[in-house]
This record gives sequence, C-alpha cells and structure tokens, in this order.
Amino acid sequence: MTRYLRHLFAAVVLAAWAAFAAHGAPPEGDPPPADILAALTEETVQIRSNFAGAEITLYGAVRGFEEGDDIAIAVRGPARDVRVMQKVRTLGIWINRAPIRFESVPGYYAVAATAPLSEFASFSALRRNSLGTGHVYLSAPETESLETRFGVSDVRVSTLGAEIVDYREALVRIKNRDGLYYEASDGVELIEGGLFSAEVRLPPRTPVGIYQADVYLFRDGEPIASRRVALRVEKAGIERLIYEMAHNSPLAYGLVAVILAVVSGWGAAEIFRRR
Amino acid sequence: MQIYLPIAEISVNLFLLLGLGIGVGFLSGMFGVGGGFLMTPALILIGVPPPVAVSTQANQIVASSVSGALAHFRRKTLDVKMGLVLLVGGVIGSTSGVFLFSLLQRLGQIDLVISLSYVGFLGSIGALMFIESVNAIRVRRKLARGGQMPRRGRRKRNWIDTLPLKTRFPVSGLYMSVIPPIVIGLLVGILVAVMGVGGGFVMVPAMIYMLRMPTNVVVGTSLFQILFVTALTTFLQAAQNQTVDIVLAFLLIVGGVVGAQLGARAGAKVKAEELRAALAIIVLAVCLALAWGLVATPNEFYEIIEAGGQAT
Repeated sequence: MTRYLRHLFAAVVLAAWAAFAAHGAPPEGDPPPADILAALTEETVQIRSNFAGAEITLYGAVRGFEEGDDIAIAVRGPARDVRVMQKVRTLGIWINRAPIRFESVPGYYAVAATAPLSEFASFSALRRNSLGTGHVYLSAPETESLETRFGVSDVRVSTLGAEIVDYREALVRIKNRDGLYYEASDGVELIEGGLFSAEVRLPPRTPVGIYQADVYLFRDGEPIASRRVALRVEKAGIERLIYEMAHNSPLAYGLVAVILAVVSGWGAAEIFRRR
Repeated sequence: MQIYLPIAEISVNLFLLLGLGIGVGFLSGMFGVGGGFLMTPALILIGVPPPVAVSTQANQIVASSVSGALAHFRRKTLDVKMGLVLLVGGVIGSTSGVFLFSLLQRLGQIDLVISLSYVGFLGSIGALMFIESVNAIRVRRKLARGGQMPRRGRRKRNWIDTLPLKTRFPVSGLYMSVIPPIVIGLLVGILVAVMGVGGGFVMVPAMIYMLRMPTNVVVGTSLFQILFVTALTTFLQAAQNQTVDIVLAFLLIVGGVVGAQLGARAGAKVKAEELRAALAIIVLAVCLALAWGLVATPNEFYEIIEAGGQAT
C-alpha cells in the first residue's frame, strides 16, 4: 500500500516537474503564486472529406487568480521552412524575386486574450514568449550575422537592414489572409473565479501535425504561470488513405490514378454509346 | 456542400467542381478540343495550387482522350506508326517537363511560367484560329455569291525534306524524316507536364501544316499520342511531385463526360467556321485574363513559397 502511494506521489511530482520544466523552473523556494489547468474539447481534429475548418474550445481554471490578472493563450501549429519572395515589376510583368528563407515558421498561429495584449503585458514579455502576431518568432538565418554592438557581443543583426521587416510583415499578413494567423484580443472569456474558455478557429487550410496551445497568466506585465496542452490535427478516413498512399507509395498511386482515368473514361463512353 | 481535396489540401464546393467539369466538358464536346487550356486556369482561379491543378488536369485528359482514341482505332483513322514516333518525343518531353516543373517549383517561378506559357500559346493559337475562321467564313460567302474557290499553290520542297532518318508512314502516305515528329512530340510532352493541357491545339495544326498528314488521321493520331503522354505525365507527377489529386480528378472526369456528351449534341447544330471563330474568341479571352494577371499591380507584393519538406 505504502509502495503504491509512493509510486503515485512520484508520478504526480514527475508530471508537475515536467510541466514546469517545459517553461523554465519557477523561482526557487517560493511556492508558485498561481497555477493553471487547461484542456481542449477535442484533442484530435480529424480532417475528413467534409472538412471545412473546425472550431474547438480551450478551457481551464487558474488557481490563485486575482482581480486584474489577464490570460493569454497562443496556439502554434507544426513548424516548416518557408520562403518569402517579393514581386518586382520586370519588363511590365510582376516576377517573384529575392527569396528569403525563414526557418521553422509555425504553420498556424493564433493568439487570444482577455484584453489587447499591449494593455496587460510588457513588450519584452510578449517578445520573449513570442506572443501576438507582431511577435511571432521568424528567423531567417541566411540573412543574419552576429555582431558586437554597443559593447554587447553576439547581437543578431539582419544583413538586409530594415527590409527584413517588410518580409516578416508580409509573411504574417499572407498567413492572416488565409486564416492561419490571427489575434483575438477578446478571444478569452473569463467566466468567474479564474475559470476561462477560448474558441480556437482552424481554417480549411490548416496544416496537419502536432499543435501546442500555451496558456499564460499575466500579472503586472509579466507571465507568472503557464500551461501547455497538445492538439493533433490529422487526416482521417479515405482522405488519410489517399494522402498516405500518394506520399508513401507514389508509384502505385500514379498507376491507380491512370487506371482510374482509363476505366472511367472508357466506361462512360461505352454507357453513352449504348444509349 | 463542401468537399476536402486530400492532395490539394483545400475545401471546395462539390457542385462548383462538377459544374466546372460539365461546363468545360460541354465546350470541349462542342468544339472537339481537350479543354485542358480552360480547366487548368479555372482550377487555379478557385484556389487549387497550380502544381496540383496542372498534374490533376493531365489525369483528367487521360479519361477524356481514351474513348476518342479507341473509336479512331476501331475506325482505323489512326496512324499507329506516326503515333509511336510522336510518342518517342512525347516520353522525352514529358519526363524532362516533370523535372523542369519541380525545379521551377523550388525556384518559386512555376506560377509565372504557367501563366506566361498560357498567354503565349493561347494568344498565338487564338489569333491564328480567329484569322483562319474569319477567312473561311468570307470564302464561304463568296462561294455562295457564285465566286471561285481560291487555288492552293503546289507544295514546294522545304527544309523538312532535307532531314535524314527517313522512313515510310504507309497510313499517312508519307515518306519523311522521323526528326520533325519527334521534335513535335517532345514539345507537346513538355506542354503536358508544365501546362496541364493535352496539346492537341498545337499538335493538330503542326501535323497538318508541317508534317502534311492527311486530315482524316490527324485527330485520331493526336488523341493516341495525348492518351499515352498524359498517362505517363500523371504517373511521373505522382511519383516525382505528389501533386495528382485523385478525388479532384474523379470529380472533373464525371463532370467532363456528361458535359462532353451535351456539347457534342449542341455542336452538331452549329456551322464549323462559326464554331471555330467562337472557340478562338474564348481562347483569346482566357489569354487576356491571364495576361492581365501578369501585368496588373497585385494586391499583395509578397508571396510565400512552401518549402515542401526539403528546402534547397
């Protein structure tokens, strides 16, 4: 019995430690001023043939919630490398030029909060946690160099100067147009006593993969607690079968596509000929 | 009713897709053309990524050309030998076209190249067709008023007759070098891979005016070549770029088959020259719309190119 309890205790401590370790250890000695519990109404979103986007709810409770505290959540989709190109008019037509590669760009990025972010969070806190569409961490390593500026060594400097800002803004703007990046300053609803809920909209174009939803509790401009929950977006049913076949056995898929076309084209012609 | 396309990864209205298939099928049945040159731009317009639109369209052309090729084969209005020679070029063209396609995709220039090729080809073909059909209508009116048919000059020897590797094409009644048909097949193969068209609109005039094939075997032979080249292109695009969407292809095939039957019946009631003039106007309109997209100031001055897993 005691051994069972000890195991259970160890498991709980381990889980709590793992949760905190993921966000940096809390100040030593002090008990954490607040704690967050969070969950999603669906932990797996399935893309089937009738998929036209999805809406899920992230809900939870804050222990030690005080008047004046604010909650922000950030949902980040699977990261991929993307290139952003600029359209330049050449001989009268618009041509994509000057590609810049951004590494590990989140394929989906949504932020929701109880109030506009800048009203309750300091600029540096937003930047550090990459909270808000203006603070998404977008790194283009090929255009960066490390320099010493004002006596500080290893300062990351863009070799493009101010132009990199245009590229970053364009990336966020295009993703926002497709519904993949957004910021909802009133997206988190506070119910009472630290209970909260937020709607997360996934557009039809939402990428497949593992998503992370982070919940932050802000007090006096700084996050004092956070919690991460995972969300999986996957193709299911026939959509999954087709997608996996196309990528895992492309030769067989190509053959099937050709045979399907030959049979249906020939079959349809026969049907119309008989009539 | 929305349907999610597994490879295009977008959600599209099912009836819009079927309607598009029927509409383009109707035009292709009426005018006797493949319709790929209308379908590919239309798919891009409704949000299908250009690589998926082009590859899936090649798959649809397989279905729309198989019945025609079979019918011509049965009626023996098909020069199999000439078809095979064209196919040799087609295989080389289509294979290099698919690799060119993935290279352009990595460089972020595929949309531009697709649009430019469309504008170039549709512009010149449309203009030629329009001039030709207007002349034909004029000649017919003149004949009706008791005029005389303008006489054609005797065909002269030209540079094509000086090429080596000559062989006999008994069905077409030709004795000529295999180089011109291989080159034509090659160019058409590239068009299939890069533009998602069957290429009949280039091949048929080339066969008539450059190879001087008899008109009764031209359509069958061109369908024969299109069937095999589009089948190969579909296979290669699926294997190399994973851009063939079976669900999208199936819906387009279903719509296309129905539309083509309706179109063929409607086309039988209209005079051929007027039909060609109307088709020329449609071709020129699509060309102008695409050209406008190239020169008009865009709303967004930047574009995101997904690296597609491995970046270069």
